[in-house]
Amino acid sequence: MKKRWNRIKTFFSKPYNILLIAFLIVLSFLVVIPLISIVRDTFIVHSAEKSRVHQAVGTFTTYHWKRLFGAQFSKSLLWDPLKHSIVTSAWACVVSILIGGSFAWLVSRSDMRWKKLLTKLFIFPYIMPSWTLGLAWKNFFKNIEITGSNGIFHSFTGITVPTWFAYGEFPIIIVTGMHYAPFAYILIGGILHNMDANLEEAAIILKTSRLRMFLRITIPIVMPAVLSTIILVFSGAMASFATPQFLGLPVRYYVLTTELYASINGTNPGVGYILAMIMILISVIIMFVNQRLIGNRKSYATVTGKSANISIFHLGIWRTPVSIVAFIVVMCMSVIPLVTFALESLLSYTGVYDFNNLTLSFWIGQAQGHDTWQSESGILRNAEVYRTLWNSLRLAFTCALGAGTLGFLAGYSIVRRRGSFLSQVVENLTFIPYLIPSMAFSAIYLSMFATKHGIIPSLYGSFAILALIGTIKYLPMASRSGVNSMLQLSPEIEEAGIIMGVPWLKRMTRIIIPIEKTTIVSGYLLPFISAMRELSLFVILVTANNRVLTTLLLFYDEKGYTQFSNAVNLLIIIVVLLINFTVEKLTGASIEKGVGG
Amino acid sequence: MPTIKLVNITKKFGKGSLAVDKLNMEIKNGEFVSLLGPSGCGKTTTLRMIAGLETPTEGEIYFDDECVFSDEKGINLSPDKRNVGFLFQNYALWPHMTVYKNISFGLENMKWPKDKIDARVKEICKTMRIEEYMNRYPAELSGGQQQRVAIARTLAPNPKVLLMDEPLSNLDAKLRNDMRAELKRLHKTTDSTFVYVTHDQSEAMTLSTKVALIKLGILQQYCPPLELYGDPANIFCADFMGNPSMNFVNVKGVKDGDSLLLNNDHFNVRFTPNDPIELKDGDYVLGIRPEFVKITEEGIESRVISSLPSGMETTLSLGVGDVTLSAVAFGSVDFAMDSVEHFNFEGNKYVLFDKESEKNLSLGSLEIVE
Repeated sequence: MKKRWNRIKTFFSKPYNILLIAFLIVLSFLVVIPLISIVRDTFIVHSAEKSRVHQAVGTFTTYHWKRLFGAQFSKSLLWDPLKHSIVTSAWACVVSILIGGSFAWLVSRSDMRWKKLLTKLFIFPYIMPSWTLGLAWKNFFKNIEITGSNGIFHSFTGITVPTWFAYGEFPIIIVTGMHYAPFAYILIGGILHNMDANLEEAAIILKTSRLRMFLRITIPIVMPAVLSTIILVFSGAMASFATPQFLGLPVRYYVLTTELYASINGTNPGVGYILAMIMILISVIIMFVNQRLIGNRKSYATVTGKSANISIFHLGIWRTPVSIVAFIVVMCMSVIPLVTFALESLLSYTGVYDFNNLTLSFWIGQAQGHDTWQSESGILRNAEVYRTLWNSLRLAFTCALGAGTLGFLAGYSIVRRRGSFLSQVVENLTFIPYLIPSMAFSAIYLSMFATKHGIIPSLYGSFAILALIGTIKYLPMASRSGVNSMLQLSPEIEEAGIIMGVPWLKRMTRIIIPIEKTTIVSGYLLPFISAMRELSLFVILVTANNRVLTTLLLFYDEKGYTQFSNAVNLLIIIVVLLINFTVEKLTGASIEKGVGG
Repeated sequence: MPTIKLVNITKKFGKGSLAVDKLNMEIKNGEFVSLLGPSGCGKTTTLRMIAGLETPTEGEIYFDDECVFSDEKGINLSPDKRNVGFLFQNYALWPHMTVYKNISFGLENMKWPKDKIDARVKEICKTMRIEEYMNRYPAELSGGQQQRVAIARTLAPNPKVLLMDEPLSNLDAKLRNDMRAELKRLHKTTDSTFVYVTHDQSEAMTLSTKVALIKLGILQQYCPPLELYGDPANIFCADFMGNPSMNFVNVKGVKDGDSLLLNNDHFNVRFTPNDPIELKDGDYVLGIRPEFVKITEEGIESRVISSLPSGMETTLSLGVGDVTLSAVAFGSVDFAMDSVEHFNFEGNKYVLFDKESEKNLSLGSLEIVE
């Protein structure tokens, strides 16, 4: 008995053991129980469903399952959205790899012009909110049949864009693909950049032609990066909400996320919960495939050779044309969208691109009362906008603080006890939120925290629930970067402190944190930026009380206040870019390092 | 079978840094030449310029009488047209191809017929003793096996010039010894010209027919290895070759007929040059190889600072006042620390360096003067 007590005492004398146990308890509650509770939710009657199920709220029912899989509605509720999700995600992979991969090759292997500027701009879509390009597409190509006014393209060319081009499947694919192109660029470019130049030189010495070398040596070696890009883009596209919402909804083109949103916000949340389960299932399958691929992958470890200068492909007479095309593509992805937002936010009447039609009213004007063309005051003198901006900043800051700190501590304790069962369990727990699509995750939290549970009050519509879900959802990124940075730090560095009797807190603050400064800052920056531009995670948890900028944007968009939504959008982008570059400048941390985490 | 000639080869990286400075050397047909020097001295750059992987800033390179590079004439033959083989330090095996494919890939490029390729791959695999791994991927091979695959890939097209960039530096000590022997044998059997980059002086010593010692991009000495060891051109060369390295003693010299009386604060010796040279009073550095510090019954008295027996011989560190000399005593002997031993000089392989220019003035014999 005494012996066991002593063993427990020794166990808890190590700070990392205490941390691991704490993580185990908290994450079980915030990650595991939600997974169980969602299953329960698919079998009970919710208050919104009283009139359709004709049973008391909270009682058992199989109505949702029957409705979703029954013959009558399953096509429109389940199979069509599922098909749309898969089709758009798969094609988005193709688009992003074509754009990002060729850009990566041009940057690292050719003598394209303006490389420095282009690479900086190319990353923009990754930093900007995911719907940016979607909204820009709409501004540019919208047609009068669907939205009641024409876009910029029409006013310049007089051509009315066909509906298939302006809305639905095609633009969703292109826009999502472009949004994820920086992913492909960073991953593929990373390998092209680090690829041992000797591998290609060995081929040249053995008289290989340029084309053959590219096809037989270069392409196969970047293949693993292409595969991870596919996995990332596909799962990202599956989970994306804003783009299909903006571009699909006007033509009733639903994907899983938008269908889920419609169900949960509509009169049948039960069906939404089943959709959420299906989405989790899909991402688990994707992860499984990913792991299988990594497992079988031959070691393409790229030892960096001594030859610093990789053989550069000379584009010859194509140099300028290729550079110009790249420049145009990059402008379309990163700068032109911003211009369209600014322009749209300045129009008195949407669809009329005339100099006399410009106004600053939507930025600084006074409210004119209801039923007029400007029912609310301009966003820069609108108290509601300031309140949501403040709310967004506060929320992003809280999430970053929470996820960043927890992630760092999780990384620390996981690495220190690496190999033990406990550390493995905690590592997997921190990773689960990554598997759960945002929309599904918030659906779970909605069902879990909508009512009072024991000591926890109902959190619906509160700031706390947004902060909580943000922290947990971004924990995987932060703990990944925590684990990676701690793995690179040898335990001897801390042990040297232990031997000299330095207490744990001091070891952390005086030894470990200063050494890992940059990575820790990245661990905070990534959740901050993500929370600032997050829509799908918050959208169903937000009420008028705890509204954030992104949901305000959606609110305006749904109401058809184009100028306001564009102005708010511009505001978000400016805030995000500003913070990103400030932190980058101040600390040297960079958001690109977090890709893939 | 070409002779490679470098004429005034200069390579600048970026604006300021000079990697190779006006290098002139001729690598004769069938030689095994080592480019030797500390890291960053420009030896790899030189090798890569010969291969055509790097473009010299100035100068000319000839393979026999054919100019393959000239900045003035604007000639720059691409690597694939120079008919050289290149062995990379990290092997550069293509990770996505099997051993067989790695070797046959180059032959396919040269449009060899299929059956000839197959025969050649099998032949070379047999020579390199990697037959049983032909269908494996590089990641499934050990370092030594990868090394042999890399050599096989390089040798398969029968290159007449084989350029090697520190090919053994990633191997463990035992394997490295085996591979050295293998390389030396290959040089004999393939009958081609080898150019070999290394920073390991003993590798250069044991393998090559000629060594080019380079320091900061400047060729210091280019001669057979034993000559480099016995008659080094300057203090840098003397210091770089040999392990334990040469003893350098700062001395003052006073002319005494055909010889110099050298003294430092602790002993006086007479240096007699092997061939008469013009002598004058001044500061000199005396270079003494450890094996020429002979432990004897009498002579200069010294204290044993350390004794490191290795079985075949014992390396000693001897203190005379504030001068420390390394010495080698042959046979299985050990010496007590701080014991007193005497040493003497014999033979005529002591080197006199000018203190200021650090140049080798002459070889000669030493004699203790009371």
